[in-house]
Amino acid sequence: MSKNLQAHLQTYFGYGAFRPGQEEIIRSVLAGENVLGVLATGGGKSVTYQLPALLLPGITVVVSPLISLMMDQVQQMRAQRRIPSTYLNSLLDPTDMREVIREIECGIHKLVYISPEKLQQSYIQALLRKAGVSLIAIDEAHCISQWGHDFRTDYLRLPEAIRALGNPPVLAVTATATTAVRKEICDLLEIKPEHVITQSLNRKNIAIEVIPVPDETERRTQVLRQMDELKGQGIVYCSTRQAVEVLTASYQLVGKRKVHAYHGGMNSMERMLIQQQFLSGELDMIVATNAFGMGIDKPDIRFVIHYQLPASMEAYVQEIGRVGRDGEAGYAVLYYTWEDVQIHQYMMEREYPTRRQIEQLAALLRQQKTPTPEMLASIEMTQEMADLLLFYAERVSASYRDEAAATLEPGMELLHHPDQVYEELEKRKLLKQQKLMEMIRFVQERENCLRKSINGYFGETEHESTLQCCSVCGISRTLYKESSPTASVGRKEVNWDLRQILSVLLPK
Amino acid sequence: MISRSMEAQEQDFLYAVALNAMIPLAKERTLQAVYYILRGRKASQTVQDVHLYSLYPYYRMFPHFSKENWDKIVSNLVQRDFIQVRAVASMNGKSTFLVTKEGVQYAAKLSSQFDLHRWFAPFSSELAINRLDTFWKKLHLSVQTVSQIAEARMDFLPVVTDRRIQSWVKSQLSSAAARQMWQAQLGDELYELWSPYPVQVQQILAGQLTGARQTGRTTGQLAVEMDLAPSYFQLLFRYGLASSAERLQREMETFPVLKNLLDGEWQERGDTRLSESAAKTYALVQRGHSRADIARMRRIKESTVEDHLVEMALRCPEWDASAYLSPDLASAIVHASEKLGTGRLRLIKDHLGAEVSYLHIRLALARKKGEATS
Repeated sequence: MSKNLQAHLQTYFGYGAFRPGQEEIIRSVLAGENVLGVLATGGGKSVTYQLPALLLPGITVVVSPLISLMMDQVQQMRAQRRIPSTYLNSLLDPTDMREVIREIECGIHKLVYISPEKLQQSYIQALLRKAGVSLIAIDEAHCISQWGHDFRTDYLRLPEAIRALGNPPVLAVTATATTAVRKEICDLLEIKPEHVITQSLNRKNIAIEVIPVPDETERRTQVLRQMDELKGQGIVYCSTRQAVEVLTASYQLVGKRKVHAYHGGMNSMERMLIQQQFLSGELDMIVATNAFGMGIDKPDIRFVIHYQLPASMEAYVQEIGRVGRDGEAGYAVLYYTWEDVQIHQYMMEREYPTRRQIEQLAALLRQQKTPTPEMLASIEMTQEMADLLLFYAERVSASYRDEAAATLEPGMELLHHPDQVYEELEKRKLLKQQKLMEMIRFVQERENCLRKSINGYFGETEHESTLQCCSVCGISRTLYKESSPTASVGRKEVNWDLRQILSVLLPK
Repeated sequence: MISRSMEAQEQDFLYAVALNAMIPLAKERTLQAVYYILRGRKASQTVQDVHLYSLYPYYRMFPHFSKENWDKIVSNLVQRDFIQVRAVASMNGKSTFLVTKEGVQYAAKLSSQFDLHRWFAPFSSELAINRLDTFWKKLHLSVQTVSQIAEARMDFLPVVTDRRIQSWVKSQLSSAAARQMWQAQLGDELYELWSPYPVQVQQILAGQLTGARQTGRTTGQLAVEMDLAPSYFQLLFRYGLASSAERLQREMETFPVLKNLLDGEWQERGDTRLSESAAKTYALVQRGHSRADIARMRRIKESTVEDHLVEMALRCPEWDASAYLSPDLASAIVHASEKLGTGRLRLIKDHLGAEVSYLHIRLALARKKGEATS
């Protein structure tokens, strides 16, 4: 069997050997167990459900929280691995939807990526059940946890959906899960402790540095200098789009290397072009918000600079995890000032609805069961906010009556129990505050090894490092500097020749 | 990397566009109306304005323009006394504006500095603008796909993520014969299409394309490389797309593969002098249907049909409007308008009396304007 699995790995994915943990997860999945796999970012989580999908009859359903990630993965599956796969989410228009449904009915696809909300719909459940589901993979499984940093209400409803699909085996995978979050995932999805397969999250080849700076001017000076000096390609993360734009513009004025901004406010064509330029090495660095990186599998990213304090340890670890997936030396540096904390406080305030907005939503819901985006916009509420409120309203009222009657009128429930719903929100805000406090505690660490505190946060004791450890243990930056930096910007003056350009693009 | 001189160029360009768009609307519309046109608002009032005043090149010129940016431009133009804001009682308290003599001169100077007439030339109807985005995406993905086919490497990530465009390209290239034809023809046809254009336009179009051996650049990157102000760059880009589409439409037989980029409606649509909806109304009018009939048949408001009639009066000199407006009444209205020195409906109506309708006045003025410009 082992040989067999490896042969399949070679045939379909072109890899000679499994990464640590992968094979064990796949074996348990093929044995029909419910499994939780915790693999470091870049540890090859997707192979653990993609390979079984090929070996099992019927389809494997992959629940994924991010639509863009879903589309990327399906694209890759189709293009590089030639594995028939598709996705179902709210972005499909009715024509495409019908087409995809027909394909699933005909049994064309081995993998069906789906958003959690789409999976709640009963006709989709019926469709999938009829097509035969052999495995449900839950990507980014930490979204299940109410106490996680990325809680998604739809994830909590997954057990019902799994039952509706005929109780196939479940594989939950994540890269960032504290001990408490793991327990929550296992409780909800009925995963036995012996089927939790954890790979160390410690990234030995990444050196970790934290630099406190007194003010913005000082920070900018230092970061701009490092962007010129660091070896290889890298990512600079900022907290806001505006910070991304400002830093990119100032670097382009003084810097020697090729840089471009990347954030959710850019159109999709621009984002794809920038991403491809980075992948192909035409760009040295990308300055980005957290919108950049998900689903990007580039092995030779050499450094990540955090221009500002990330919102949580989970986010931080995920972002530095993009460095050095090839196992070569990598470097992660984080700058912070006290102003960063205020930015996060401000963003947190805006993320949650006010007491007044809760009442306004309740009023809207009395007029109409599902408010339109325009109606929500009129009370300055996002769809996510509304979903969260309804979820809490439902839960709060469930504790007042018997369960059967619990989902009657979300608007009425919100109207009757606004205080309790608001309390729940306050709890979530508090949780985010705690996450931020953990992050602050980490950056203030001056005595204990940073690697130990990261890994300790996720309940691990391992803290080995291959080259250098961290700025508390002592670090020499020269190792990550380019010995003889050369400028890569500067216009190449070439004579324009349309014929020649077109023949490069479209050779005959 | 946007230099100071480029910022100045950008500002000048914005003034050039704003002032030139304002001139035809002076004394008749609010400044807000000009802003809506440049933003490309889809509201019917804005679309009507574009048609009535022939502002096609301006429509959706700055789709991401913020109100703050606009207010800054306006206040600058006011400060330099190129425009003056006027409150008028008869426009429901809304204020209109006028362009001063200096303003008109300045507009003309900037217009020739940026060669606006040349770049505006291919915009003969607003409808093209709405389709240019799709046209460009189809072209971009066709080039990327054909390039990958040529290298026999199908493991690529399409830069165009729009699913509809992707399935369109897939269906175009589904047969081996079609793939062969695209591969043999596409490069040559693009050369034929683009080689007459100024080098800058060629660079803007070809520089964004992605293939197996080359990743395209974003509009921002190209603008910096070419030292062009971002908005001016966008205009040249739009010029390239619009004139490409226009030439393909005219010379389909010269471009056997590229002509497929034009969608069906583009290839066969009604009277191109009119907006799509007005063209449909015109067809019904020619068959003798009444205003009320048309409204019912097309399920639109009667007032919308009236808007179409005004468009027809403006653009279709051959249309006999006498069923709606007698020649005598028409000349009386034109006369009153000239005497009062205004095109504003309320003033003319007050002058002529209650039996004259707004539709009468609008038709008469549109007719007169159509004669003056044709």
